[in-house]
Amino acid sequence: MLHLSANNTLLEATLIELQQAVQENSPLVVDRIVSDFDHTSFHLVTPDNDNRQFIHLSIVTKAWPSLAQCGGVDESQLIQFINGKLTNQATEILPKNQTTQGYDMTVRVDLTKLDDESIHNLSLLKTYVMSFPFQLAFDEFQRLSQQFATLAPGEEESSLSQPHRGQSYRIQYRDDENIYVQPSNDRITVIFETIFKDETDKIFGKVFLQEFVDARKRNRSIQSAPQVLFSNVAPREIATTSMENSDSRFITFVLFPRHFNNTETQFKTISQILQFRNYFHYHIKCSKAFMHSRMRFRVNTFIKVLNRAKFDSEENEDGEKEPQQRRTFTGRKMVY
Amino acid sequence: MSFLNNPAIVMDNGTGLTKLGFAGNDSPSWIFPTAIATSQGQSTGSNKKGLNQSTSGGSNTSSANSYYAKSTSATAFDNLNSNMLLSNNLAGKRGTEDLDFYIGNEALIASQGPAYSLSYPIRHGQIENWDHMERFWENSIFKYLRAEPEDHYFLLTEPPLNPPENREQVAEIFFESFNCAGLYIAVQAVLALAASWTSSKVIDRSLTGTVIDSGDGVTHVIPVAEGYVIGSAIKNIPIAGRDITLFIQSLLRERGEVDTSLRTAERIKQEYCYVCPDIVKEFNKFDRNPEKFAQFVVENKEKTSKKVVDVGYERFLAPEIFFNPEIASSDFLTPLPTMVDHTIQACPIDVRKGLYNNIVLSGGSTMFKDFGRRLQRDLKSIVNNRIAQNERLTGTKSTGVDVSVISHRKQRNAVWFGGSLLAQTAEFRGYCHTKQDYEEYGPEIVRNFSLFNMV
Amino acid sequence: MSQSLRPYLTAVRHSLEAALTLSNFSSQEVERHNRPEIEVPIQSAELLLQPMHISRNENEQVLIEPSVNSVRVNIMVKQADEIEQILVHKFTRFLEQRAEAFYILRRTPIKGFSISFLITNKHTESMKTGKLIDFIIEFMEEVDKEISEMKLFLNARARFVAEAYLGEFVY
Repeated sequence: MLHLSANNTLLEATLIELQQAVQENSPLVVDRIVSDFDHTSFHLVTPDNDNRQFIHLSIVTKAWPSLAQCGGVDESQLIQFINGKLTNQATEILPKNQTTQGYDMTVRVDLTKLDDESIHNLSLLKTYVMSFPFQLAFDEFQRLSQQFATLAPGEEESSLSQPHRGQSYRIQYRDDENIYVQPSNDRITVIFETIFKDETDKIFGKVFLQEFVDARKRNRSIQSAPQVLFSNVAPREIATTSMENSDSRFITFVLFPRHFNNTETQFKTISQILQFRNYFHYHIKCSKAFMHSRMRFRVNTFIKVLNRAKFDSEENEDGEKEPQQRRTFTGRKMVY
Repeated sequence: MSFLNNPAIVMDNGTGLTKLGFAGNDSPSWIFPTAIATSQGQSTGSNKKGLNQSTSGGSNTSSANSYYAKSTSATAFDNLNSNMLLSNNLAGKRGTEDLDFYIGNEALIASQGPAYSLSYPIRHGQIENWDHMERFWENSIFKYLRAEPEDHYFLLTEPPLNPPENREQVAEIFFESFNCAGLYIAVQAVLALAASWTSSKVIDRSLTGTVIDSGDGVTHVIPVAEGYVIGSAIKNIPIAGRDITLFIQSLLRERGEVDTSLRTAERIKQEYCYVCPDIVKEFNKFDRNPEKFAQFVVENKEKTSKKVVDVGYERFLAPEIFFNPEIASSDFLTPLPTMVDHTIQACPIDVRKGLYNNIVLSGGSTMFKDFGRRLQRDLKSIVNNRIAQNERLTGTKSTGVDVSVISHRKQRNAVWFGGSLLAQTAEFRGYCHTKQDYEEYGPEIVRNFSLFNMV
Repeated sequence: MSQSLRPYLTAVRHSLEAALTLSNFSSQEVERHNRPEIEVPIQSAELLLQPMHISRNENEQVLIEPSVNSVRVNIMVKQADEIEQILVHKFTRFLEQRAEAFYILRRTPIKGFSISFLITNKHTESMKTGKLIDFIIEFMEEVDKEISEMKLFLNARARFVAEAYLGEFVY
């Protein structure tokens, strides 16, 4: 497996199972937890034992409070945005007071009305939730670039030296790790703040991140990919907002308009960007696993070499037998 | 730390099947064969493409999202090769094959093509191929469970009598490769006992009892006293699910049914078989009552052709081989109840009552209707005979031994379910060894796990 | 193979040949005990021989500590940068974890060295001394090779992973 998928396979499989059960007229009663990366959990529950065609799908994610803030004072805009993504006859976002306890949002799903597409859509729920600030940034970019285009030629000069920056959005998606999305008039900058808990990971991570920076320069065929920058100190864009942490590493992706000029590329870009942390952490782990394989192989070859040094058992029987089994006159074994 | 809110991950890797899921759920999220299909090295692109169609055909990725269909390895490599030229053509170079593999059901499909070879990393309950197992786990965690191991605690299972070196190797993989937050390794039989706590018959939650674990390959009778397995008394019975299936198949063949495939035999086993109290009476019942005979309809995939297979005496004869092995095999002749009795008699006398008292079933091959009842009845008569004989010889009155066999609804995945029960308790994390512990003391720390306190 | 490696390994080989002349020697302190004297240096200074220190450069050194019934061979493996450091650490720990299979491997290295071997008279009696020396020399060669291969692998994998990720952005 090279890439992680954007949708949650388990959520998808569970929904398909439930849907099939309903179609076969033996609907299941469920109460299940499904987990996802970045402190996200889903909860599927049948709210009403007598009416099993409905289930409640709830999501809780570490990033929720910071996401809600992106859109203003409360989460209404975020909910509205998700609603727009999910909109379907089978699903309905429940109002806040009906949200399952301990979860951020609950979707009521009508299993009888589910089709393949809406199941797939639901399995992308986390990606949709996380893409909210990106969508805001895309809109902001539109506004800024138009504003910039309408500027008088003289003003353009002065503004070139200082790009128009819009509001930046912060997603706190893990304990000490953040994503910053910063729209400006000609680009959108996405900055990952990440830390490595493990010493080995720290060093392996550095190797990996350096390659992300260099990859675009080296390989012509991916020239059009976003530019990647890596640094140990907070970039200028977020210097004011970031809490200083000496262990933090900053990875900056510079997205150009070609990466988000239509909804399809927007979606691809967002889901790819959101996978970034998990993607390279996954690959660090794969590398370590591969090294374990190598080391196991090495251990075996070393042991083979060492075993060559042992006296053969045959030799023991003929040549060495005499001295090993020396006995005293009374028949006792000689021990020394 | 916020990983405290994440559910613990429970993984039960068996010889045949792997059960994966999250603590707190009542059933595993994934159940698939513990199989891995690894790349054979060079292979042509065309057959890989064909494979992809067969694997993704079942899932419902709509065309708009076909972009994500390539999240599995083989296709991802194909696309890379065709879409872009990597510098130095790294994709084709040595060093990335370790990402090109499938596990579980996908592995079974992949191995049908020439590009992959199938292997089972676990033999007789113990891990044989660590390289494959490490990658199996890697894929289980990231692809199927979608979890960052740094954020989750893990509960793994091990067979009884697993050497401590194996535990250390497991810890090495989980802490060094995956950086998992915490790890607990539990003995399967103990978890099966814990799973029986859901049964209404169980009053006190003790970890003393006899576990009868019957899967596909072999049946174990494992006595557990206060959470510790009495290793010297464990007995294996070479009769399990596969033998029953083969027995049904041979009966079908003898009768010359239209479809005698192993699959059909297995379906019949799962859907029609039950345990009867007395074979002779059951034969009579069948002869008097023709409704007892069933018919099993085999349809091919496209549902175009139908074959009708009659199901007769094998409904009760097949599971009977546990109780009268001589009808199917000639080299193993001890019935299951006798084996259980032998096992308990081989244990210290102080715990025997507890062991007779709490006989717990686990595994798919104990799922036959009335299996527990019959076992209880047969075992009771063995025990009562012994008591009667003893009373006659010594003249003293015995206080009696209570034999009770517990079967419950979670029997099929009892081990996993027991793990899920224990791992969702608040105390679970206290019993785990954490990454910090591992770094301080090294792998030998996993040689000891404290037992769960019985509430 | 670089110019100075050959003489370095030859020097180690000859020193080992000279050091591996062990004889059975019961403990002078505890009755019926027989212990590797090199591991109890305070109690038995008279049983220790002059240690031999062979150094190729400051990163690659071997310290051979002989005694009457045991020899300790300590190897410092080349660690040019922090990646090699962590790889050597991982690799030696992996080996030490499996020390049982290696008979002569010490579970912890002596301070300042990457890995240590302890050869006692029991070992030289059950194994051919020449082959044991071959093993240590081969080990030294292979470890260097393995570490640099793993480093290369890590870089190649990182590059591959990065390109594969960024390749997804090419529309």
